[in-house]
Amino acid sequence: MRSIIAAGQPSGRHLFKKQAVWPAGLVLLVLVIVMISPALAPQDPYRLIVSDRLQPPGAGHFLGTDHLGRDLFSRMIAGIRATIGTSLLILTFSMLIGVTIGLLSGYLGGLYDRVFKRIIDAFMTLPDYIFAIVLSGLLGPGLINLLFAVIAVKWVGYARLVRSVVLQEKEKDYVALAILGGVTPLRIVMKHMLPHTLGNVFVLAALDLGKIILMIASLSYIGLGPQPPAAEWGSMLNEGRVYFNTAPHLMLAPGLAIMITVLLANLLGDKLRDQFDVKTRKEA
Amino acid sequence: MLNIHNLTVASGSRELVKGINLEIAPGEWLALAGESGSGKSLTAASIGGLLPKELKLSGTISWNGSTLTSLSPSLRRKTLGKEISYIFQDYQGAFTPFITIGKQLDELLRAHTDLERQRRKNMCIDALDNVNLPGGRVYTSYPFQLSGGQLQRAAIASALLLNPGLLIADEPTTALDSLTAQKVLKYIAKAKERLNLSVLWITHDLRHVRKFADRVAVMRKGEIVEQGAKDQVLNSPAHAYTSRLLAAIPPLSPNGPRRLGQLSKNSLQREEGALL
Repeated sequence: MRSIIAAGQPSGRHLFKKQAVWPAGLVLLVLVIVMISPALAPQDPYRLIVSDRLQPPGAGHFLGTDHLGRDLFSRMIAGIRATIGTSLLILTFSMLIGVTIGLLSGYLGGLYDRVFKRIIDAFMTLPDYIFAIVLSGLLGPGLINLLFAVIAVKWVGYARLVRSVVLQEKEKDYVALAILGGVTPLRIVMKHMLPHTLGNVFVLAALDLGKIILMIASLSYIGLGPQPPAAEWGSMLNEGRVYFNTAPHLMLAPGLAIMITVLLANLLGDKLRDQFDVKTRKEA
Repeated sequence: MLNIHNLTVASGSRELVKGINLEIAPGEWLALAGESGSGKSLTAASIGGLLPKELKLSGTISWNGSTLTSLSPSLRRKTLGKEISYIFQDYQGAFTPFITIGKQLDELLRAHTDLERQRRKNMCIDALDNVNLPGGRVYTSYPFQLSGGQLQRAAIASALLLNPGLLIADEPTTALDSLTAQKVLKYIAKAKERLNLSVLWITHDLRHVRKFADRVAVMRKGEIVEQGAKDQVLNSPAHAYTSRLLAAIPPLSPNGPRRLGQLSKNSLQREEGALL
């Protein structure tokens, strides 16, 4: 009985259970790598040695060099920060905005909810890639504008998710009792509502991470991301495109990096979903 | 003293509670009986201002002279939190699942008192001890670590924590087995004696009414069809519907009285006629 009840609660507590240790550890590892990545690069990722251009992978340059003679491996590592770091930043802001609006909309209800719900619905109808492309096109290319464009697309999912959880939970007796008991609305939202949503939010975030990385890489690939000479995996793919026949490693390296990262992010998401979603978890 | 005057709850043009009048004296236990959908719970929810926004309330509800229905939400909350408390049927939902019982009790004390931490903790543990729970342990327990009966008792402890004047118990024992239910009601009875508590007890089970309530009001289709002292209502019901409710109680022994047999066919037919 106990385990069934416990399993039925999509609460924040599960975060700290043993099974969640490795995904959490992985996230931490990624964060550390993002932080220290500039120090890991064996060579200056921006130094041009034109005589060394388009070298194949070998002893001097682990992954070879690009069309301007820059060390590809160093540029790949510099790209970690641009690609994954930006994705994490976007994810964080999307969650903050989405969760806040979701909580407000769901808990306050009435007119607030109707207004927020219309906004959320309006955003949901926009195709996310096209909207992001249009938006970053309007804002102009560059990392910061790219950031805004992707956040504008991504916060909606969190708002909708959190709103639906709050709508469900606020009907429960304990909320009525807390209201009757004189607990302030802010406290009810933060202590009694928010933790209910976190499990779902983290699962969505983990599944979203892969999509965001792909979106950033895609937007950079078409030239809307960080501008040269900045190293970003998507823009590196684009730079390598011209030399694909003679130097395929220029596309293979960032391509594979994107693929592996997205794969790992999705694995992490699945793992977390198993963790939080009662339906997919096998009862012990 | 709780005074409900001409309370009407309407959903659009449909009246779900039709102008009822109720009074509960200090230290009095009133059982509000009736079948599902008769408007009992809406009446209870009206007192606490817990009605869904779609429902429209009219009439007045006053507690010790102050009219609750005309107070601003925040002032109402302040009055209610201390003076009027609730217990609901669903004990699983009485506590937020991921916060310990102790913290949730403490939250109420913090909202209404300026006591220091240790003093508050002692009060919580005492309140839990009072309903015969191991206070120290339950204080640090999560709701899912307690059984149904324990949870409902913890809910009572929480409801009585601030020494309220009125306890509204909305079918508090419906989800419990009858032995546990009996215990839960006994704790409420004990608190009633100790605190001179008024109790509004919503129930559809008349078996316990005889034992615990002082007065009974019977509700049907949004109206109070009969109210009076327990013995009067239970022994010589004036309304045919009360008789039917009483008849629906399963007898405890195979030779027990079958009250249904005592009802005249006529009265039942009259009742059906009134329904249509």
